Amino acid sequence: MAAKEVSAGIFEITERGGKQLATINLVPGASVYGEKLIEIKGCEYRIWNPKRSKLAAMVIKKFNIPIKRDSKVLYLGAASGTTVSHVSDIVSDGIVYAVEFSPRTMRDLIGLCDERPNIIPILADANRPQAYAHIVEEVDVIFQDVAQPNQSEIAAVNVKRFLKSDGHLLLSIKARSIDTVANPKKVFKEEVRKLEHDFDVGFEVLDSRELMPFHEDHLGVMARVRPAL
Amino acid sequence: MKIITWFGTLTLDDNGKLLEWDLFQKDTNVLAESLVQPKETEIDIPPAGFNLRAVAMECGFVASNDEYNNLLRDVSIRAAKQQISSGTPDMGVIQAVEALDDIDETTNTLSERLAEWNGMYFPEVGLSSEPLARFVAKYGSRSNVLPDDNLYEKATSSMGAELTGLDEKLVKGFADNICTLYDSRSRIEEYLVKSMEITAPNLVNIAGALIGARLVSMAGGLEKLARFPSSTIQVIGANRALFKHLRARAPSPKHGIIFNNPIIKNAPWWQRGKISRAFAAKITLAVRMDVYSGELNESIKTELDAKIESIKAANPRPPKRENKNKNKGGKGRKQKAGGRR
Ligand SMILES: C[S@@+](CC[C@H](N)C(=O)[O-])C[C@H]1O[C@@H](n2cnc3c(N)ncnc32)[C@H](O)[C@@H]1O
Repeated sequence: MAAKEVSAGIFEITERGGKQLATINLVPGASVYGEKLIEIKGCEYRIWNPKRSKLAAMVIKKFNIPIKRDSKVLYLGAASGTTVSHVSDIVSDGIVYAVEFSPRTMRDLIGLCDERPNIIPILADANRPQAYAHIVEEVDVIFQDVAQPNQSEIAAVNVKRFLKSDGHLLLSIKARSIDTVANPKKVFKEEVRKLEHDFDVGFEVLDSRELMPFHEDHLGVMARVRPAL
Repeated sequence: MKIITWFGTLTLDDNGKLLEWDLFQKDTNVLAESLVQPKETEIDIPPAGFNLRAVAMECGFVASNDEYNNLLRDVSIRAAKQQISSGTPDMGVIQAVEALDDIDETTNTLSERLAEWNGMYFPEVGLSSEPLARFVAKYGSRSNVLPDDNLYEKATSSMGAELTGLDEKLVKGFADNICTLYDSRSRIEEYLVKSMEITAPNLVNIAGALIGARLVSMAGGLEKLARFPSSTIQVIGANRALFKHLRARAPSPKHGIIFNNPIIKNAPWWQRGKISRAFAAKITLAVRMDVYSGELNESIKTELDAKIESIKAANPRPPKRENKNKNKGGKGRKQKAGGRR
């Protein structure tokens, strides 16, 4: 068994010929959502299933993940914290601001925050960043997985307010929540076009790939704010 | 410029430089309390790119990054716990649904009055309910109708009396009031859609926001609804139709309010029973999912669609046996269990 770091804090574990993603458990002994724990050379890893996480799928799809050990991350659409928990592992010296608007889901997320030192739970609608502007500081990375028809607008308003000028946006775009019938490829193209042209922040899309076969009809996007000329 | 942050109120100069500060008491409870206060105005929130952390250290609120993180974490957790426990959001939904019903009842009565009243002056108008109220509120007397309005012809050739002076004021004001109620109705509907999407995404995905809200309201809350068997969900809301049936000899109800969903309503009568059973079963599942996880799970909808397709495929034609069960499925159009919406 061996662990190879493929991106800061993200490991590829080879076990009996099979490869799996994993992060180092920030709270050793605790499994968050039933994921397997593996110990290698005195270090405990949590297996990270790309089918359960858009971010993990993006890692496998070879996105150049900009999250570092000391990154500050704004996570929009935290849900019960499946992916947030791995981000929390990665940014062991950083902090995750986790925004979720469903009170019931928030209940589980709070449970996770109670056990981990670096997640700030925020019950709010990501459409209204002014509702959490008195809590959230400027961040290095915004990760967004909200599955809403206006995903790119949500990204734009949050980037404008919270992303550092050299920061990155990671976005999971779900075709079906934008248009249930249209061809996903068309929807993706239109969303990327919107990101690049429709907002006053002006995005530069650095990378975009579909998250098949882990997530059907989902596009992963990495972007930054276009530097001023 | 004054801004509010999670640790205090700050005064900045035009260049964003810190002039004065008024820090909150450094106590988790106090800080959490102020965190949950709704911040509605754009004015007092920090400008984009404002460095909260550096300022918190500059005014001596915290001494280190770690202290900042730990305190903010404790405060946010406390605030979030407070927010999710302070009254279940379904209570808002229940009140809103009942308010809709009250408004419907009131607007019906008032609109009938308006129709009769206005009928003295413009009997040919051919409008009722909301369109009528909007029309009268806009013009008052028919002599004010503009040529580009498609009622212009009728208005100029009407047999009705002149509406002038105090009478016009009264009728117009009355119509205005009705319009206000319709406005309020649509705001309540918007609120319902929004809060249902947040609290019960799966139920909304299957039944739609308004029917979902009605189910929650009739059950007395989402958690109560989650405990109902699907056979009950299928007929919730039928009792109102039942009273109507007893009172006014309306057809007896076979489905509850879920019948208002086009999936069932638009199906041919011989498929409705089966479809509404499948529908109710998936609603039950969806509601439980909402209560126990709160996350949207698309597969319920996919399964429902597949199930409905298979019902349609298996029952393409009405059953043969004629006379005996003639009225079993109702004859469609007339049957409207659950009534309005
Ligand atoms: C696909 S799930 C996210 C799953 C999560 N990222 C993970 O991998 O563990 C989408 C979540 O976004 C939340 N959401 C949707 N719209 C939102 C909004 N406007 N503001 C905040 N959260 C939102 C939903 O309640 C849901 O929990």
